[in-house]
Amino acid sequence: MKQPGPEKVIKEQKIDEKWWKDWERRGGWRPEGWKIIEINDGPTLNDLKPEKFLIVHRPHGNLFHHSYGKVSKFFTGLLEGKLYGTKCPKCGLVYCPPRAHCFNPKCRLAETQWVELPKKGEVHAHTVMAIAWPSMAHLQPLVGAMIRIDGTNTCLPMTMRDVDPEKVNIGLRVNIHIEKQPKGDLLDVYATPAEEPKPPKRTPEELKRFREDMEKTRAWVKKTFGAK
Amino acid sequence: MTKKVGIVAGSISRFDNPRHTLQEEMCAEAVRMILDDVPELELGDFVKKGYACCYSYFSDILEQQQCMHWIINDYLGLSAVPCFRVESGGATPIDAIINAALWIRSGMFPAVLVVGWEKMDELPIQKVNEAIAIAGDTDWDFVSGFTYNAFYATMEARRMHVYGETEEDLAEVAVLCHNNSLENPYAQWPAQHGFSKIMVEDVYKSRLISWPYRLHECAMTSEGASALFLANEELTKKLTDNPIWITGVGFGSDTMRAGDRPDNPAWKGLYPEDEKIWPKHVPPPMSPYPDLCNFGALRVSARMAYKDAGVKNPRKEINLVEIFDPYAGVVLAGLEDFDFCKRGEGKKLLRDGVIQPFGELPCQLSGALTAQGHAVGSTSIAQVVDVYWQLSNQIGKKWGAPSRQLSNIKKGFIHGHGGTGCQAGAVVLEV
Ligand SMILES: [Zn+2]
Repeated sequence: MKQPGPEKVIKEQKIDEKWWKDWERRGGWRPEGWKIIEINDGPTLNDLKPEKFLIVHRPHGNLFHHSYGKVSKFFTGLLEGKLYGTKCPKCGLVYCPPRAHCFNPKCRLAETQWVELPKKGEVHAHTVMAIAWPSMAHLQPLVGAMIRIDGTNTCLPMTMRDVDPEKVNIGLRVNIHIEKQPKGDLLDVYATPAEEPKPPKRTPEELKRFREDMEKTRAWVKKTFGAK
Repeated sequence: MTKKVGIVAGSISRFDNPRHTLQEEMCAEAVRMILDDVPELELGDFVKKGYACCYSYFSDILEQQQCMHWIINDYLGLSAVPCFRVESGGATPIDAIINAALWIRSGMFPAVLVVGWEKMDELPIQKVNEAIAIAGDTDWDFVSGFTYNAFYATMEARRMHVYGETEEDLAEVAVLCHNNSLENPYAQWPAQHGFSKIMVEDVYKSRLISWPYRLHECAMTSEGASALFLANEELTKKLTDNPIWITGVGFGSDTMRAGDRPDNPAWKGLYPEDEKIWPKHVPPPMSPYPDLCNFGALRVSARMAYKDAGVKNPRKEINLVEIFDPYAGVVLAGLEDFDFCKRGEGKKLLRDGVIQPFGELPCQLSGALTAQGHAVGSTSIAQVVDVYWQLSNQIGKKWGAPSRQLSNIKKGFIHGHGGTGCQAGAVVLEV
């Protein structure tokens, strides 16, 4: 027998300890404020009575120390500007998201091997987020696409840039990019069109509605975050 | 040992957001209604008579409380009673019912009380969405920039591309669900928006969330609780003269990440008839069914439940359906995956009026997730309760709306699922 440790740090980008400690101390469950409200309540709409409730504002936050496990190479790859997937030596399926073990039932959880992937692919399905995560709200309307990277048997969800949301469609060829200053998660990856997009079929009413939706979304972004 | 599991009583403490009432208080409201319906049932007898409790709630994060079911169990005065919790995302409540039914069938317990609830107003809506979204893969789905809405939206975009579903189809589903909820005193939509009918134009006026989905086509976030008292055949007949039977249960699963489905070798050849249905204008993936168009887990769960219940032709034998519809397109996909029509033809059943309240196959009579509400752990229990009230002819009494009671109905089908169809369950109810 042998002990697995001690662990050696090969490379590190440290977090700002002071910034986190401050947040952690304030997010410590003690109420920061409260309100007393009155509203009708009861088990059915035919059975409502006025009730008073006290509501406290209780903060809480966490910092997770998360390992990417045996597929860490995908993310260290991003830090080096490279795209990696894994390939099963038995059945040949290529995974991105990578799996350390093949999920083809025939392969009895065979260990996979790393392969570098081309930065090209195709839209398998898509959407336009008029409401994105708060950290990305300034990018609304934001195209999200399930991208099948060339040579893989999976789709990797990613956002798209430099594309008119109206024109994104299934089958669109894309180039895949990695952020110049990657942080080490999937948001470092994005796609742009590799060809002139052919928009999906829309009725005149659908097209009018779509354009109005995009205008409204852009107007909100401009109002909230200012002009670009 | 008989396979029959009976529903002795069912109840709902209404969906709304916020409710402000605590989980344990809403659960107590629901369980009190069961006690009112079954005067012979005594909470103090659970240990003596060997009954158990099965609790259903989704998230420990929404109010930062782990093991909430210990609070509920204690609050209901059921300490010492054997209890367990089921959690499987959106599939939690249907999974709880299936588990309870199987425990009764095993002969271990003559009866199981199923209680489900959720609190969803404590965090701001974006954080609630986050708590739901981390039921997706937090390394590969959640951090891609996709909201949960976005994943379902890409799947619907695929259905539009492959099957020719339209934005109007989605809006019509939303209209059906919302208008179905208007006389439902447990529904959130009328509690918040009043009692007038809506039209397709109203759906179009609701804000775009993630194309093609608009606000009225997405589930509400809700608070509420519901309960079912299930028992073996002998005890059911002793406690009620109006029993409904759970004659079939089934469950199935699919990949965690929707993106892993198109070439998934586990599905290849499983449903050859469905693989053949594929349009010429789209290159087929290696496993054309379910791809991102359909929900394979729904299919597996439904066929298992039908087999269990001896249902040979679901389209002919099932009289009413409640589909777990976090997004409108799931109603159309579900109709296909549950064998009510061939894949791609869900829109036809909608357009032909088949799933309208007095059509051949009424669907979403409660209003379902977009209008009755979606307090996750309570959702499918409430949908089962709604179908149970229909089959046992209690809508007049329970809703105060006798005109909504269907007649000549024998069998109902209710389904639930979690994630992007990562896990699904189904039950068949019979008079
Ligand atoms: Zn393999």
